[in-house]
Amino acid sequence: MGAQIGTNGRELIETNEPNLVEDQFDYSLPPKIKFDGPLYEEIDGELVKFDPKEAVQRDLVITDTTFRDGQQARPPYTVEQQVKLYDMLAKLGGPNGVIRQTEFFLYTANDRKALDECRDLGHQYPEITSWIRADKRDFRLVKEAGVKETGMLTSSSDYHIFMKLKKDRRKAFDDYLEVVEAAWEADIRPRCHLEDVTRADIDGFVMPFVCELVRRSEQVAPDMHVKIRLCDTMGFGIPTPGVELPRSIPKLIYRMTHDAGMPPECLEWHGHNDFHKVHANGATAWLYGCNALNSTLFGFGERTGNPPLEGAIIEYIGLKGDLCGIDTHMIQEIADYMTSLGVDIPHNYPFVGRDFNTTRAGIHAGGLRADERIYNIFDTTELFGRPPRVSITDKSGVDGVTLWVNEFLGLKGEEKIGKIKVHKIARWVMDQYEEHGRLSAVTDGELEEQVKEHLPDQYAKR
Amino acid sequence: MERNEIAERVSKVIAQVLKMDEGQIAEEHSFAADLGAESVQSVELMAGFEEEFEIEMDEDEALEVQTVSGAIDFIAIQIG
Repeated sequence: MGAQIGTNGRELIETNEPNLVEDQFDYSLPPKIKFDGPLYEEIDGELVKFDPKEAVQRDLVITDTTFRDGQQARPPYTVEQQVKLYDMLAKLGGPNGVIRQTEFFLYTANDRKALDECRDLGHQYPEITSWIRADKRDFRLVKEAGVKETGMLTSSSDYHIFMKLKKDRRKAFDDYLEVVEAAWEADIRPRCHLEDVTRADIDGFVMPFVCELVRRSEQVAPDMHVKIRLCDTMGFGIPTPGVELPRSIPKLIYRMTHDAGMPPECLEWHGHNDFHKVHANGATAWLYGCNALNSTLFGFGERTGNPPLEGAIIEYIGLKGDLCGIDTHMIQEIADYMTSLGVDIPHNYPFVGRDFNTTRAGIHAGGLRADERIYNIFDTTELFGRPPRVSITDKSGVDGVTLWVNEFLGLKGEEKIGKIKVHKIARWVMDQYEEHGRLSAVTDGELEEQVKEHLPDQYAKR
Repeated sequence: MERNEIAERVSKVIAQVLKMDEGQIAEEHSFAADLGAESVQSVELMAGFEEEFEIEMDEDEALEVQTVSGAIDFIAIQIG
């Protein structure tokens, strides 16, 4: 170690060994999210402390709505496709049920067939639940499907109560409770989806309704207690402290847990991405008292979409500091499968897009060539089967071309070819742009031809 | 090999790679700042020197060389 010049946080501390902050960035896992203090929020004039370390210890889970909200944003999946996706979700979430539940529509024969065939696979997780309108007649479908829990639409804002349902608050309140009672009578656990809660009158409707649900739940067995899904239908939720209700996620969840007495295991967050906050909002909900984060594969959902399930998976590993039985390779397999169905995943989409760990700039490629940790988020080769790549353009430089060639030839360590050996390929690339006015990236096929021509021995051995 | 001969052959390679007359090249010139060598050309220069003198250079050390005189001295050491 070098001489320590100062320790007051203002003077340079010289060192012979780099500080790679490996307790957070150990590279074999997504970076750990470590907390060194509580979160505070002022609520009703009091400073309320939330302990994120305690939150991380709770039974946090991911729930899935790919087949419900996810399908509302696209042409319906076939039965076969739903069964395949369900099977892959089960493998992704692993035996501990990190992906705890997924929900199905029940309204068409295909919906019910998909549910039956998924259940026939025999996976413990994700548990299969359903989604219905708040209509007593729909419980027949739930009962016939043999589902033990169902979500039901219980819109909570006056936008929905007055303008969509054409009811007043008392009528909505009574109708919702009637449906909840009907669920219990049918021996089905009700999950109330508080639609548009981030635009609702919290004290005037939401709290009285939730308090009544908690009161009535005391009269049934614990495994039948009402669950609440907090639906940020328009993406209005805000994760930072100091924001007013109804948009404040910390305050909203505190009202549920502290004021209404709703336990975290009965609370779920369902977001939308209208303001680019969808993942951060979901992760925030975990920390402030919701155990379940509702999500969809690649965030596909109504309008701007829902919290991306794969983002929640990586967040989960970061919070727990462990894979917890998750098979991260399945994220890529699911993405490949979705792409084969014609789903368009943007090239720059995190974790699965074609270019998520592809660099174009030569100076970045130089860093990758020196040590991939410099420009790769974690060991994507080990966790995803996706080594960091370079895309070759006029900005790639010799470093980028060299990195591409070594990766293509599968050369590692001492076997790697240096820049001098690939200079003819680098020159060919530059000429494409400088001499021929090219505007597109050089393709892998073109580069392979160059390797065959200029490095024939290495090409033959690859 | 005499230093003068090395210098002549180095200038020949530089002129070929950077497409200039040998008369424009002086020993004190920097490849990048004075002779205008871009990133790819710096590597092409090193490849040209290897071919001209039938040597194999340590890449990292070779690419540290910034000037014509530095290249002449570096190659002189390489060929002993």
